[in-house]
Amino acid sequence: MANLANLYDVSKCTACRGCQVACKDWNQLPAVIEPFKGNYQTHEDTNGDTFTIINFFEYEDPVDGVRWNFIKRQCMHCLDPECMKVCPRQAYTKTSWGATLHDPDKCIGCQYCAAACPFDIPKYRKREDVITKCTMCADRVEEGLTPACARTCPSGALTFGDRDELLQKAEARAKFLRANGFPRATIYGRVELGGLNNLYVLTDTPDMFGLPVNPKVSGNITFWQDWIQPYFGWLIPLMLTASATSFVTSRILASKHGEHGEHGEGGHE
Amino acid sequence: MALIPEYRNDVPRVERFNFLARFSHWGHTVTFLLCLFTGLVLFLDGVNWLAAIFGGYRGAGLVHRVSAVGMTIVIIIGAVFGFKGVIEWIKDLLRFGMNDIKFIMLFPLEFLGFPVKVPPQTRFNGGEKGNSIVTPTCVFLLVLSGYIMWFPAIFPVGLVRVSYWTHDIAMVGATCMVCMHAYLGSFHPGSGESFWGMWKGTVRADWAKHHHAIWYDETYGDKSKSE
Ligand code: HEM
Ligand code: HEM
Ligand code: SF4
Ligand code: SF4
Ligand code: SF4
Repeated sequence: MANLANLYDVSKCTACRGCQVACKDWNQLPAVIEPFKGNYQTHEDTNGDTFTIINFFEYEDPVDGVRWNFIKRQCMHCLDPECMKVCPRQAYTKTSWGATLHDPDKCIGCQYCAAACPFDIPKYRKREDVITKCTMCADRVEEGLTPACARTCPSGALTFGDRDELLQKAEARAKFLRANGFPRATIYGRVELGGLNNLYVLTDTPDMFGLPVNPKVSGNITFWQDWIQPYFGWLIPLMLTASATSFVTSRILASKHGEHGEHGEGGHE
Repeated sequence: MALIPEYRNDVPRVERFNFLARFSHWGHTVTFLLCLFTGLVLFLDGVNWLAAIFGGYRGAGLVHRVSAVGMTIVIIIGAVFGFKGVIEWIKDLLRFGMNDIKFIMLFPLEFLGFPVKVPPQTRFNGGEKGNSIVTPTCVFLLVLSGYIMWFPAIFPVGLVRVSYWTHDIAMVGATCMVCMHAYLGSFHPGSGESFWGMWKGTVRADWAKHHHAIWYDETYGDKSKSE
């Protein structure tokens, strides 16, 4: 099945946060009330009960004056998800159409995935000791509906559909924006980290929206997963074998050399 | 040949480890092994039968944490109340010399049971000195990285990522040492008597004289009397 993706066009978003509310509503997530932080952002970050938020950024640009950027954040549904690789409980699965799903019944709350995700997405829900994150509304999509956030979006900033078609649409839109007052407009998610299933049209470079320009899996995580876990542990059976060998040889040798040693116990003279 | 040398009351015995040393040794042995098997559940990615022993994956996680706290407490008790003993231990480790190097070079032969002539040893022989440095270092790293992994929210994410591989490397390091150490301290025909030193506190005087000549002379021999 072809990959289905969510395309978010920053230039059409009005930061109404309807998506945040729709997401809470569909996924039956309780409200999380945080103190006012001096800007329009509702929460510090996504959290155990908030799968998506609009992030706000303010910049003072010597040429353009004050720039006010905002962007929707949620799981990127990476085509090659690192969260899935590190999970020791195989709690993550990839659907045939590209969503990265997390099964809370398998999760043991170790939070490896939270440290491994290059986008800092999986969040710990303390009261249940599990991780939570955006589901791409798989339960809706598999019934032929679109994700709750995309369905709600009143300004057409969110479109759900075939990934390849959306990429073409995104490219065309970025080209249009570059020609119409946003010379640095670009798309995000086509090649980043081997491809994401959440695509972006940005009016500026990714770093101006708090996105890593070149997202990478941390070398510490790769070292741990690809070298230490698969190979290093073999030293333990090797040492057990050495001791087992000694158990046999030292007893054979002791009986050969006779029990006439000073202590009748083999070992050194 | 018996698994462990017979405990003999009919020969002179000398004290090797006091109660506190024995308490902390067996205390951290039990908690270490519990941590090890509950940790392997995750390290080996999905060994259901091992997890089942501890009541599933959540159960294993709980046992890991309870044992971890238990081990931390045992180590602290041992280090605080047995402070003098720890200092003596470290002093003995600092006496690392030619006799220890020779011991380590001959050790593979002795390990397999060949009769070899080893130079006189202090309280801890060359191999035990190595074990006394490597194993506690690994355990220290396990404790440090373990608490960081337990509470990732209060540490920088970079440190948490380093802790993951540190915890695993230290686990393998300590476990490899323990695989040899536990065997040497019990079923190995040559050094099995040392088990009684750690279990009941005393070892046979002739064994001590033979295996730890320098220590024996200084503690119980002519030297200790002349001083
Ligand atoms: C104070 C001591 C320790 C603490 C606080 C600690 C804590 C942890 C935590 C929080 C985890 C993550 C998994 C989970 O949430 O259940 C873990 C995993 C693990 N621990 Fe420990 N631990 C300690 C000591 C040990 C010891 C002594 C060993 C073994 C000799 C050990 C071996 C492991 C292993 C093998 C894993 C799995 C790592 C992986 O998935 O690759 N730990 N530990
Ligand atoms: C069932 C397993 C074990 C047995 C039978 C055992 C036995 C012993 C014995 C007999 C000694 C005294 C050696 C001497 O006379 O100097 C000893 C010392 C020691 N043990 Fe263990 N032990 C076991 C597990 C462990 C574990 C799990 C650790 C640490 C994680 C450990 C750490 C040490 C250390 C650091 C020493 C002092 C240095 C040395 O003598 O090598 N042991 N053990
Ligand atoms: S963004 Fe993070 S949580 Fe989402 S699929 Fe990618 S690695 Fe996994
Ligand atoms: S917290 Fe849950 S989902 Fe994340 S790695 Fe651990 S078991 Fe897997
Ligand atoms: S796809 Fe669904 S779960 Fe994800 S942010 Fe949108 S509404 Fe929330």
